[in-house]
Amino acid sequence: MSVASPAAERIDSAAALGPESRQALRDLVLALADSKRVLGLRYSDRMLGAPTLEAAIAASSMAQDEWGHARLTYALLGDLGDEPKTLEHERPAAEYRSIPALDAPFASWADTIAAALLVDGALTVQYAALAESRYAPAHNRVQKMLDEERFHFQYAAGWARKMAAVPEIRPELAASLARVLPEALRWLGSDDAPACRRLADEGLVAGGPSELRRRFIARVAPVLIETGLADELGIVQRDGAWTYAGEVGWSGWNESTRRSGGSLDEVTAARARGDKNRALLMD
Amino acid sequence: MKEPVYEVFARKNRGEPLRHIGFINATDGPLAAVYAWKTYDEQNWEEMCVVPRAAIIPVEPGESQFVTMLGREPDADVMKLHGTGSYGGGDMAVREGGGR
Repeated sequence: MSVASPAAERIDSAAALGPESRQALRDLVLALADSKRVLGLRYSDRMLGAPTLEAAIAASSMAQDEWGHARLTYALLGDLGDEPKTLEHERPAAEYRSIPALDAPFASWADTIAAALLVDGALTVQYAALAESRYAPAHNRVQKMLDEERFHFQYAAGWARKMAAVPEIRPELAASLARVLPEALRWLGSDDAPACRRLADEGLVAGGPSELRRRFIARVAPVLIETGLADELGIVQRDGAWTYAGEVGWSGWNESTRRSGGSLDEVTAARARGDKNRALLMD
Repeated sequence: MKEPVYEVFARKNRGEPLRHIGFINATDGPLAAVYAWKTYDEQNWEEMCVVPRAAIIPVEPGESQFVTMLGREPDADVMKLHGTGSYGGGDMAVREGGGR
C-alpha cells in the first residue's frame, strides 16, 4: 500500500521508500542502465559501416552518449542497494536486463535506424517520466540525457524519412520497424504488473505503462506517418489520438526484467563488462 | 545519392559573432543540424547553425570562397567532401574544398 499523498513528497534517498517500491525502482533503473549500455555497443558497431561518414561520426557520438547515460544510470543503483561496479563488470549475460530488441547485433542500417527511433525512443520516454520523479537522485541526472536524446531522435527521424523514400530500402526499413515496434511498446511495461503500477502510483515515475505508451506513440507517430509506413505498422488514429492496433503480447513477460525470456549473448555481455581490459579496471 | 552541402556556423559565447567552422553533407536540414552538432563538438558552443550552401548569396561572387573555392558553380549545391574532418574550423574546410 502506498502512503497518503506520496507523489507530493520529494525524497532524496531510497531509504525513505518501502521495500517493494525500492525493488520496483531498482528493477526499472537496472533495465534502463543495461539497455543503454547495450544500445551504446550496437551504435558503436556503426562507427564503421554507416552509409555516410557524417552518419558514422554521429553514430559514434551517440554510442558515447549512451555509455555516458548507462554510467549515470548504473550509479543510481548505489542508493538502491546495489554495488554499481559489480553490476557493470561482474554479471553473466543471462543476468542482463537490456531490452530484447537489442539481443542481436543490428544486421542492417534499417535495424540501426529502427532501434534509434523506437528503442532509444521508448527508453527516452521512460527517462522523461523519471525526470519528473519525486525521487530526487533520478530526476537530477536525467535532464542532460534528454537534451542529448533530442539529437538521437532527429537523427533517427531523418534517416527513417530518407530510407522510406528509397524504393529498394523501404521494405527493409518497414520490416525492421515492424519487428522492433511491439518490443519497444512491451518494454514500457504492463498495466497489470504491480511493480509498474506502484512506480506510477507513488510518483516515482510520472505515468503508468499505458500513459508512457501513449507518449511514445505520440512521439514516433509523426515520423512514421511522414514515411507512409504508419498504417502497415498498426499505428492508427482513434478518437483523435494515435494508438497501436497490433498485439503487444505479454506471454511470459516478467515485470522485474521487462523481458519475456531469451538472453543477451555472452560475447556482447563480455564487451559490456569490459572483459578484455579487466586487468586495467580501476577502483 | 547526392547530398547537398550545409555550411556550419557557431559562436562560443553569447554576443560573439557567428563564425564559419566547416561544412557537412546531409539530405536535409534536420539531419544537417545533427551531423553538425555531433561532428563539430570540439567546443562547447553557445549556438550553432547550418545553412544550405545554395542559400548563401555572395555580395561579390567573384571574391566569394563559397563560390570560387568550394565549387558552388556549376554544381551549385552538391559536393562530395574528402573526409568530414574540418575539425580545425573554416580555414581547413576551405582548403579541403579547394583541393578538389
